[in-house]
Amino acid sequence: MSRSDTAVRSPRQRGGRAAHPFLRYALRRVITSLLLVVGVTLVTFILTNLVPGDPVAAALGQRAAEDPAIVAQFRAQYGLDQPLVVQYFTYLGNLLHGDLGVSTTTHNPVASDLAKALPATLEIAIGAIVLSVIIGVVLGTIAAHRRGKASDHVLRVVSLAGLSVPTFWLALVLYYVFYFQLHIAPGSGRLSSDYTTPPTVTGMYTVDALLVGQLDTFLDAMAHLFLPVLVLTLYTVGLLTRFVRTAVLEVLDQDYVRAARAKGLPGRTVIWSYVLRGASIPILTVVGLAFGSLLSGTVLVEAIFAWPGIGSYAYQAASHLDLPGVMGVGLLIGVMYLLVNLVVDLLYGVLDPRVRLAS
Amino acid sequence: MVFRSTPARVAIAAAAVSLALVATGCASGKTDSADGSTQTLTIDKTFDLKTADPGRMYEPTGQLVDKALYETLLTFEGGDVSKVVDGVASLEQNDAATEFTLTLNGDHTFSDGTVMTADDVVFSLQRVIGLKGNPSFLLDGVTVTKKDDKTVVLTTATPTPALPAILANPALGILNSKVVKENGGTTDETDTAEQYLNTHSAGSGPYVLDSLDLASQVVLTTNDKYDGDKPAFGRVVIQNVEGATQKINVQGGSADIALDLSGTQAEGLGDSVAVTSDPSANVIFLLLNQNPSVSAITSNPDFVKAVKEAIDYDDLVSIAGTGTAQASGVIPSMLLGALPADEKLTQDLDAAKADLAKSGYAGESVTLNFPSDITLNGLDFPTIAQRIQSQLKEIGVNVELAPAPVATELDAYRNGTETIGLWYWGPDYPDPSDYLVFTPGNVVGLRAGWAEGANPAISTLADAAAAGGSTDERQSRFEELQTALNADGPFIPLLQPGNNIAAASKVDNVVYNAVWTLDIAKLGSK
Repeated sequence: MSRSDTAVRSPRQRGGRAAHPFLRYALRRVITSLLLVVGVTLVTFILTNLVPGDPVAAALGQRAAEDPAIVAQFRAQYGLDQPLVVQYFTYLGNLLHGDLGVSTTTHNPVASDLAKALPATLEIAIGAIVLSVIIGVVLGTIAAHRRGKASDHVLRVVSLAGLSVPTFWLALVLYYVFYFQLHIAPGSGRLSSDYTTPPTVTGMYTVDALLVGQLDTFLDAMAHLFLPVLVLTLYTVGLLTRFVRTAVLEVLDQDYVRAARAKGLPGRTVIWSYVLRGASIPILTVVGLAFGSLLSGTVLVEAIFAWPGIGSYAYQAASHLDLPGVMGVGLLIGVMYLLVNLVVDLLYGVLDPRVRLAS
Repeated sequence: MVFRSTPARVAIAAAAVSLALVATGCASGKTDSADGSTQTLTIDKTFDLKTADPGRMYEPTGQLVDKALYETLLTFEGGDVSKVVDGVASLEQNDAATEFTLTLNGDHTFSDGTVMTADDVVFSLQRVIGLKGNPSFLLDGVTVTKKDDKTVVLTTATPTPALPAILANPALGILNSKVVKENGGTTDETDTAEQYLNTHSAGSGPYVLDSLDLASQVVLTTNDKYDGDKPAFGRVVIQNVEGATQKINVQGGSADIALDLSGTQAEGLGDSVAVTSDPSANVIFLLLNQNPSVSAITSNPDFVKAVKEAIDYDDLVSIAGTGTAQASGVIPSMLLGALPADEKLTQDLDAAKADLAKSGYAGESVTLNFPSDITLNGLDFPTIAQRIQSQLKEIGVNVELAPAPVATELDAYRNGTETIGLWYWGPDYPDPSDYLVFTPGNVVGLRAGWAEGANPAISTLADAAAAGGSTDERQSRFEELQTALNADGPFIPLLQPGNNIAAASKVDNVVYNAVWTLDIAKLGSK
């Protein structure tokens, strides 16, 4: 019996009052994700506290760290004088109220720090993933379609190069060429220094500038997005091209594709309606993973382009042993990964009924 | 209403955005420019910014920002930090350096128009003490009292000749007490004014705080009520940028000043950029642990002597690049009490080999600990450590490098458990008394396993230097102390890495100051 046959005897069709299969599937995925979030909090907490080094010494200046009164006050203020188990459960309890603690570096609530940093990262990560998917799917499909030909080899080499080149180095080179030599791109940062930050609505300067009708600010913010997005795109597109090529090659060998061709359907129709649809689930999986890695992998790119996103925040928190900051970033990235995976899982269910029914 | 097709939704969304744009008009987010009063100056700096609240700030970026926002009782002129001059007050002190009378000179006005009084001074200094923040130690043991509306008296139980230099620190900037109190300010730990002071300033300095983002940028605009000369730049943007990007930015024109270029980055920047290079006030040194239970090798005086003689100091200066100087002693060259350049340590390989033989060293490995992830004035520690390793190899000393992130290595350093350590000391305040920590039984001495009583002769010299006296007396006592430290101490002063400031051609009067790096208000516009 094939998996799809089970749909014939699904509870709803039998007249039962159970939820729609997709809803049950979605609910199960959401509950699993919530449990994983708790797991993420435990892992980040343990890892953060395993790091050798005294956060008090790192946070206080040389002189202040030698004053027992100041040290005691600091420990009490950040709850570091409590046993680790108590600290963890306090952390969990506070999390339920959306409280991620207070950064020992910035003295701000970690949640507000991250709320400010996340839109900056999302702005480049979304731009990069959209471009990467478009370019990666097109190039990967072309490579698969022309398997073994010169263009296939060239695309494979190019995608391998994209994956292998260190993003830090690539960012510096592109910055030097496009900004300094060619004057095509603006300087670092999210806006030129003679522009004021648009009023915060989403935290994404391009969107916020549009919302208040500051077209010149919008264009300046877009121009500043160009290089960081390009670097991240070059990094991600290599991965996607290779993966799409493999996925498309597998589908090209399927009987239903051969049948479609045998019927005389135009090549474009076969590719878009049959091949890519068939390859969509593996492609979706890798897009989800790539987006997650973009979020956590922007540290060096953000450093080069003076981009105040979560990558910069993570680096700053880690180098100052800012435990609440490190845990906050770890949790945020973990949750973003889970969210992306959840969305991908749910899309599986939409794209392929066998998935939701099998689960 | 149900929109069934995706194109329909897209069209509606596009129309909504268009409507919003039409409704709001096409505003501009650009600031005024072109005329001198609103000319923007952009400064690239690698941030270590935690706050703009003077009572809690003690990092270089904070000093740079707060110097522009707040005036201090006393100050320094230009780059000369060896001599204190009047700030908002003039100073009279007793011979014992235990009583300091500060009289406000003229009418200094805060940015809201309020005139500064002795009450503001007392509140500001007492707040720094009471907050128990990073800069609190500056006023350890100091009592602040108001004598009259224009006069404040500071008293200390023991001689504190460094206090005038300390009072020039931007962390001791004078706040508008009325405004700060209205926003949660107190003189104890219940103070909640930091948030206010991170969004507004409450000072009498040449600039006011327009906006502050600890991660990305600080924007300053001029203070119309400032008592002194109007700054050349009406708007200043200080942005957080890494060193490698700073170089490209200042060359390309998107930044006017780059503050964190290494010696090698500062070379060959082209004609459009002027570089001001000075030795910084940071001193990079080696410590050799004197505690035999930590290391029988490094606690041997002949071994210490051999290492001092084996190091090629000129080579270290050359790899550090523009602006770098060999440190003559632990006190940097621009401070009172610095040793003359001709008394610095020099390489003598024959003597080194002889002393090493005398020490009984038999080729064992000795560990060199250093922070692997910090750069100081663009100079990274692993480069220096590797060079020292190869230099000591020449006389037969086997050094094993042990890099670690600064956050973790600090523990071993502070606990005095490193065999050989490579570290630096930046002055807490520009006075030689800050360097008494390098003597037996004191903070850095203990980190080198040098306990109280380990070298009575040096302790006697340190006591004499601490006692105060005239400027000349202090100069000679601190010189004497450092000569003895160079001869018999466990520290090897290596470098004062160069502080390189690159400025675009439109900016002049760039002067490096060891306390606040740059006085932004004193910069000129060509």
